[in-house]
Amino acid sequence: MSIIMISSDVAETEAIIAGKVAEEKGYALLDRRVLHDAANRYGVKPERLNDALENRPSLLRRLPPRQWRYYLACIEAEVLDRLLVDNIICRDVGAHLYVNGVSHAMKIRVLTGKQACREAAEREGGSLEKAEKQGFRMNRCRTAWSMAAYQKDEADPAGYDLVVSLDQIDPVEAVRTIVGASAYRKFQSMTYSTKCLTDLALAARVRAALLKSMSDMQVQARDGAVVVTARALKRRKREKVEAIKQLAGQIPGVGYVEVHVRNNIFRKAE
Amino acid sequence: MARTLEVLLLDDEPIVGRRLKPALDKIGCHVEVFEDPRAAVARIDEKEFDVVVTDIRMEGMDGIQVLEHVQRRWPGTRVILITGYAKMDLAREAMGKGVFDFIAKPFRPDDLRRIILRAAEDMGIFLDAAPDGGEPVDQ
Repeated sequence: MSIIMISSDVAETEAIIAGKVAEEKGYALLDRRVLHDAANRYGVKPERLNDALENRPSLLRRLPPRQWRYYLACIEAEVLDRLLVDNIICRDVGAHLYVNGVSHAMKIRVLTGKQACREAAEREGGSLEKAEKQGFRMNRCRTAWSMAAYQKDEADPAGYDLVVSLDQIDPVEAVRTIVGASAYRKFQSMTYSTKCLTDLALAARVRAALLKSMSDMQVQARDGAVVVTARALKRRKREKVEAIKQLAGQIPGVGYVEVHVRNNIFRKAE
Repeated sequence: MARTLEVLLLDDEPIVGRRLKPALDKIGCHVEVFEDPRAAVARIDEKEFDVVVTDIRMEGMDGIQVLEHVQRRWPGTRVILITGYAKMDLAREAMGKGVFDFIAKPFRPDDLRRIILRAAEDMGIFLDAAPDGGEPVDQ
């Protein structure tokens, strides 16, 4: 079993490369269509989930921070459950930002470079300089989003296992490179990596359940044991701990729940 | 045709061998247990095992070195690494070097039995096995 997560600075390029890699490898493709399933599962509107993936919290957009975090948690829970299934290519759902520590999940960054700007300039009838500025603005927005959501710069090459520049190699060669690299033994699943993913998926399910009615939760899971770190005022601590244990205990796969509560209301639960 | 699977189990914590040997004996394995990696390697030089299960962090020689030694001496032997200090980079390094599987402690004996059965199947060896649960094996 292996997972390939593809991210690019241009959405169309990402879609093309991910589609071709999925076709070459005979893998399923997981993309924003999963939002409909997440929406059904959690009783939210798919367009709100899409909004959460596109934008940071904003009162103008009727997307307050707490709601935003809840929507992202719903997406993570659905995506991580899908990744447990089998060989899969994943794009456009931010998985490369929250699937961490899973050795058989390979992260690829595809850089479109100047060629994409030239094509955009030709398509829109504008100048190359204008297209480059537009691209730069969009990438800055994406970085701001990924920093707000996951404290990571999506464009940072250090966050990826393989970075491919389409300025230097063409898309066909890029697909071949990705397919070849994904066959390396180090990117194949093993008992340890499968357990890591199972633990991540369980933690995500618990977090989504808790964030529906609470805020500022950190959840970790291992072999069915779940540790929740939350914030609460001293006088509400017992009540909150009971509520968390009750909610988390209802999630299938949870065997034991431990809750750590920080009393400092100015400090995030980390 | 069923036969006994020859397994070498190496872990510097005595409790690991005490817990796992009987569990593996039940599924048709003949298990030799070692706590000293150098002694284990000397035995590996004498005998071809089907499966070597080794801890990673040990005094004198680590599990990766044992893996490399086994691969040089008996390329067909499947090596399974167990560790209480599992990290993604170590897991990838081990897989890249050809380990059959990598499992983090604590684990249940049944987890290891499943991997061993898979290794046997991979080698075309038939074992008569009926796994059950068991207490977790800790470092």
